[in-house]
Amino acid sequence: MTTVALAGHRPRPLVSWRVRKLVVGYSYLVPAALCMLATVVVPIGMAIKMSLYHDVLYKPQDYRFIGLGNYVRLVQDPVFWLTLWNSVVWVFGSVLLQFLAGFAAALLLQQAFRGRALVRTLTLLPWIIPGVVVGLIWEWLYQPNYGVINDLLLKAGWMHDRVAWLSSADLAMPAVIFTNIWRGIPFFAIMLLAGLQAIPGELYEAAHVDGAGVLGRFWHITLPLLRPIIVVATATRIIWTFNYADLIFVMTGGGPANATQITSTYTLMQAYSNLDFGYAGALSVVLLLVMLAFTAAYLRVTRGVEEVG
Amino acid sequence: MYERGSLSRRRLLHTLAGTGIVAAADLGWWDAPLIAPRRAWGAEPVRFQWSVPEPTRIALMNSLVERFNQSQKDFVVQIEYVPQAQARQKLISAISAGSPPDLCQVWDNWVGQFQGMGAVEDISALAKAWKHYGDVEATAWQTVTIDNKIVSLPLALTLDGIFYRTDRLKELGLKEPTPEWTWDEFLAIAKAFTKADRNQYGYGMRGGGTWAVLYPTEFAYANGATVLRDGKLAINSREAVDALAWYLDLALKHKVTPPSAATDGFVEIVETFGRGVTSMYQHNSGSVGQQKKNIGAEKFATLPVPIGPAKTRASFWFSETLTVLSRGRNKQGAWQFMSFMLDDEPSLMYCKTLGLLPARKSIISQPEFSKDPALVGFVQSFPIGIVSPYLAYPGWGGKIDSDGVPLMQQAILGKLSPKECLDRFAEVLKKEMT
Repeated sequence: MTTVALAGHRPRPLVSWRVRKLVVGYSYLVPAALCMLATVVVPIGMAIKMSLYHDVLYKPQDYRFIGLGNYVRLVQDPVFWLTLWNSVVWVFGSVLLQFLAGFAAALLLQQAFRGRALVRTLTLLPWIIPGVVVGLIWEWLYQPNYGVINDLLLKAGWMHDRVAWLSSADLAMPAVIFTNIWRGIPFFAIMLLAGLQAIPGELYEAAHVDGAGVLGRFWHITLPLLRPIIVVATATRIIWTFNYADLIFVMTGGGPANATQITSTYTLMQAYSNLDFGYAGALSVVLLLVMLAFTAAYLRVTRGVEEVG
Repeated sequence: MYERGSLSRRRLLHTLAGTGIVAAADLGWWDAPLIAPRRAWGAEPVRFQWSVPEPTRIALMNSLVERFNQSQKDFVVQIEYVPQAQARQKLISAISAGSPPDLCQVWDNWVGQFQGMGAVEDISALAKAWKHYGDVEATAWQTVTIDNKIVSLPLALTLDGIFYRTDRLKELGLKEPTPEWTWDEFLAIAKAFTKADRNQYGYGMRGGGTWAVLYPTEFAYANGATVLRDGKLAINSREAVDALAWYLDLALKHKVTPPSAATDGFVEIVETFGRGVTSMYQHNSGSVGQQKKNIGAEKFATLPVPIGPAKTRASFWFSETLTVLSRGRNKQGAWQFMSFMLDDEPSLMYCKTLGLLPARKSIISQPEFSKDPALVGFVQSFPIGIVSPYLAYPGWGGKIDSDGVPLMQQAILGKLSPKECLDRFAEVLKKEMT
């Protein structure tokens, strides 16, 4: 007689393999999450807290909770509204023209011609130079008394009087936007060139055989296939430009008479010139909310466009 | 072989270590060791923040710090150079974070804010017991005294004056102006210098930075105006408005200023003069050295600011200070170093090299300062020197930049009348009078 030993009932593990897998998975994320918490979430929290206090560094005895006091002041501050409008002009003026010129440059650089590699490298130059240096270079180029731009325009006979590009309330903003366009073209050119190179050549050949012209191929092949890159690149660039204070800070310091003062330079001035960290905190929070609202709206609209496409 | 080789290395190491110990023991008995002076065990270094790091200043400061470090054995001074534009921000951040340097170099217009933050040390007792206390100009002490407490040592002084091109005057056959010149003479010379078709202008007006507000205020004092009268704000008085109108007319009516005046800051007014675009500008002695290099010492001179309709005038006095931070770790060392910087030789070398005016009377009377035509205008300005009225309230320093400068720029561009400009500026300043 043989006895068969039946396998004992295997005890059920305390934590199921599915949960363990999840825990292990999430534990890999912990270092990154902690870094994000320390460098993004905590500073945002501190900025929000700061914005609720009367926090002027040279008046430590006046430090107190004022609730939404800084936000009320902000709503009543005409310079804030001016800077918000200036920010819109600065961002959309810069990014739209950077995009158009960058797209044109990408299409040109996609063509085969002698010295293409060199031209592609040179195209990157404005992007490689640090923003502060770009600001200093262009400030000197625009200098009305001994700057190259006035000199060339006068010699060419296109101008009779010297123009104070950065000292005129009407010309200062277009002048700094032009500099920012010059600096930002390579960003779009390189991003879009990478996208163009990923489009299979067969698509163009097939469209050509079907009788599609240059514009038809651009409209029905190039543009739809580049759309994801265009969306990401423009959204990123808009956010960067909104927060980008270096160029204006160096070239005009927000002047003349706040004509080029954008919200980020105004925030910087409130914090480090007036030492009013409470008000600067409120400005930063509003800047954050504006950007969040814009990004959400932009992604929503572009997703819609993609679905339609 | 190996054994012999390893023994030999060991012996060599022993010999080297032994030699080092003997040498170190020997050095310890030296009064003036070759490597570096001995430091007291555990002595905290003096951390010293210094702005405006251009090559001449860096070389000069390195030499002075090295000289001081070699002169005593208790501690070392460690100098940290920061760009001028970031010096204040860096200091504010360090103070807020609770780890400021022991000593810093700042201009007196910011000391009030740091004092308001409770960040600077009261050095009244040390200063009054100091051997050179009586030799420092009384007005210089005023610039560093807040709430009856001396909070800094005035390392160097600045007074505003007018730079003018002597060679251009000769070319145009104009009479050399005297130190007692008036607004009318100033305007006549500015008009004579102006040849807009040749890109030449009479006066390099400053529209950018803090001094865009301070220069017209000095003109206002020449018209009998003051910033404060009996403790009340008087910056928008009739005299002040009239003076500003006259000043703005230099740009708007007489067009004796370059078209870029509304945003021209320190660099631009100095550069345009150096390149021959302007023939006069208002500044302190800090740009004398640069103009000597740009156009040559024989081609320019300086004068006090012109006398106004009220038969008076004023030049605002500023001090470049050495300030001890109250949360520094070696305040005694910081005091030792700052008082060394005002000793005869360091003070003379510092001010002579940089074209600044020393705070000590016995040094400023030396020919390097009193006989130099490029500096004589500033030395002659001492009797009309007053402490900048904008030092009265700590909050005013920041408001000049954030509100005063944009208002002044609007006025220079003709978008705001002189009265509107000063009324609005008065509103801003009034809020900070606490």
